[in-house]
Amino acid sequence: MNTAVINITNLTKLYKRGSEEVHALKDVTMSIEQGEFLSIVGPSGSGKSTLLHMLGLLDTPTSGGIALNGHSTIDINQGRLAKIRRDNIGFVFQQFLLLPTLTVRENIELPLLFSKKNGKSERVTEIMGLLGLAHRAEHLPHQLSGGEMQRVSIGRALINEPKVILADEPTGNLDSATAEKIFELFRKLNNAGLSLVVVTHNVDLAKIAHRVIGLKDGTIAAN
Amino acid sequence: MNYFSLAAKNLMRRRGRTILTVLGVAIAIAVLFSLLAFNSGYEKQLNGELGGLGIHMLAVPKGCPYEAASLIIHGGVIPKYLSGADLEQAKKIDGIEIASPMLLHQFFKDDKPHIVYGINIDEQKALKPWWKVEGRFFHDGEENVMVVGRNLADKENLKVGQVLDFGPDKVPTTIVGILERTGTQDDEFHYLPLLQTQKLFNKEGQITTIAIKAGDIAKIPEIAKKLEEIPDIQVVTMTQVMGTIMNLVGSAQALLFSVIIIALVISAVGIVNTLIMSVNERTREFGMMKAVGASGWDIGKLILIETLTITLVGCVIGLIVALAGSSLVENFVRGVIPYSPSGNLIAADPWLVGLCFAFALVLGIVCSMYPAVKSARLTPMEAMRSDIE
Repeated sequence: MNTAVINITNLTKLYKRGSEEVHALKDVTMSIEQGEFLSIVGPSGSGKSTLLHMLGLLDTPTSGGIALNGHSTIDINQGRLAKIRRDNIGFVFQQFLLLPTLTVRENIELPLLFSKKNGKSERVTEIMGLLGLAHRAEHLPHQLSGGEMQRVSIGRALINEPKVILADEPTGNLDSATAEKIFELFRKLNNAGLSLVVVTHNVDLAKIAHRVIGLKDGTIAAN
Repeated sequence: MNYFSLAAKNLMRRRGRTILTVLGVAIAIAVLFSLLAFNSGYEKQLNGELGGLGIHMLAVPKGCPYEAASLIIHGGVIPKYLSGADLEQAKKIDGIEIASPMLLHQFFKDDKPHIVYGINIDEQKALKPWWKVEGRFFHDGEENVMVVGRNLADKENLKVGQVLDFGPDKVPTTIVGILERTGTQDDEFHYLPLLQTQKLFNKEGQITTIAIKAGDIAKIPEIAKKLEEIPDIQVVTMTQVMGTIMNLVGSAQALLFSVIIIALVISAVGIVNTLIMSVNERTREFGMMKAVGASGWDIGKLILIETLTITLVGCVIGLIVALAGSSLVENFVRGVIPYSPSGNLIAADPWLVGLCFAFALVLGIVCSMYPAVKSARLTPMEAMRSDIE
């Protein structure tokens, strides 16, 4: 039985930059298993982020297939994709992308607004406790450190109880000690059964993952 | 948290910009409300004023209808006269209840125009049963007496019993009464017995106009037709006067309405500009929201709520300002309109308030349309394009 959360087959993504065609991804096939902690590494321009966005159904491939829980997501409209993302995938961004006018609690709560699951305040409190943010609940993002902001971003990704978390350079803006703590947190979440895909430049941190995929020029160079 | 609190927090992010946009809407709504209120109040007051004349039509010497309208409303002098024979013919027409001759004369004192009405007092009292007097009315045959309007008395500091040297021959004339305030132009004039006025200004046998009240208002057109058969007479009905004044006011109104439209267009452009800036600044945030599960409609809804908050708050402020400053607006409008009736010109009807809210709602929906649709249509990746390696 296939236990893959996300499965991609022969995925190709082509961008047009002026008259030039850029192959961001070339014929990539891979899967993320239930409970797996996967790192994607590679130099700038290797297609890491593009791959992550494909896995997260944020972008559509030029060719190839993406299946989530065994169901193809190709040719599904944006509205349904938003729903699928909401119920299955949590995103963590390098720039955190917190709303500056919302408190820590509200930033974590934000996805509940879109999933119409307002009123799950005990879940928000629980997540803040898990991430060590309870004492920061009513603070605004500008009052937080980089590590704390990234933890808020992780909290926001966790609130809808996703099956997999996709993190794009989550430690790119953090110092090494804070970065290590974030990876530690990822490991903890993974131990609790969550699947994780983390794109990173940091090879040392990548090694904490179960599996490391190396991308080069849009293809998988090492697995 | 809900969409409203999220929208409110977003708006407070650029407080100065939001406040300026709200002010733009407030000004537009204030102008819209004031001018609509003026428009509705003006017609109402004009109707009231013409009703206050107590007559259905005037027979005037043939000439310019604008002159006649001005004569009726302001008082004034047309350098043409009807004769006693015209009056006699008019009185013979069936259906006329009262046909009251009047001689109007204008003179200047300290460079200010004064209007004198030579009237038959019994007929005038029948035409204007609401006239009350401090002191007494004169009798039709009496000489060297007058009644003055309340405003005139106040302006000139006139008292009952006071004697004025009146007319070109400086005939001592006693003020026997001061009219109680009527709220119409009647408050501005001198009233003297017709015969005395004719004598005083050397206009024996001449009258300026005949004020006519029909027994049955249904017969007004018929009476008017018969009156016009008298060679010297032109008939001006109150409906015509109303029409003439509304024509005069029409051009000023057109100017005012173009001011409203310009104010509204500027305000709308301002809102759209603000929204587009605010939406462009937040493109990546919208991308993030879509990544965490927001649909296009969720984003559109957020932008719509933000816009409606701006326009509705602007509407409330605009209405408060308009209501508080209605006297200023009234003064301004009185300055630009060729004729303004006395009384309150700004009629703040509830339906006008409702209309302004409806307008603010439509303004909000129209202005948010483009930015909302644009943002709603963005795919998460387009929104976060700068994240692409």
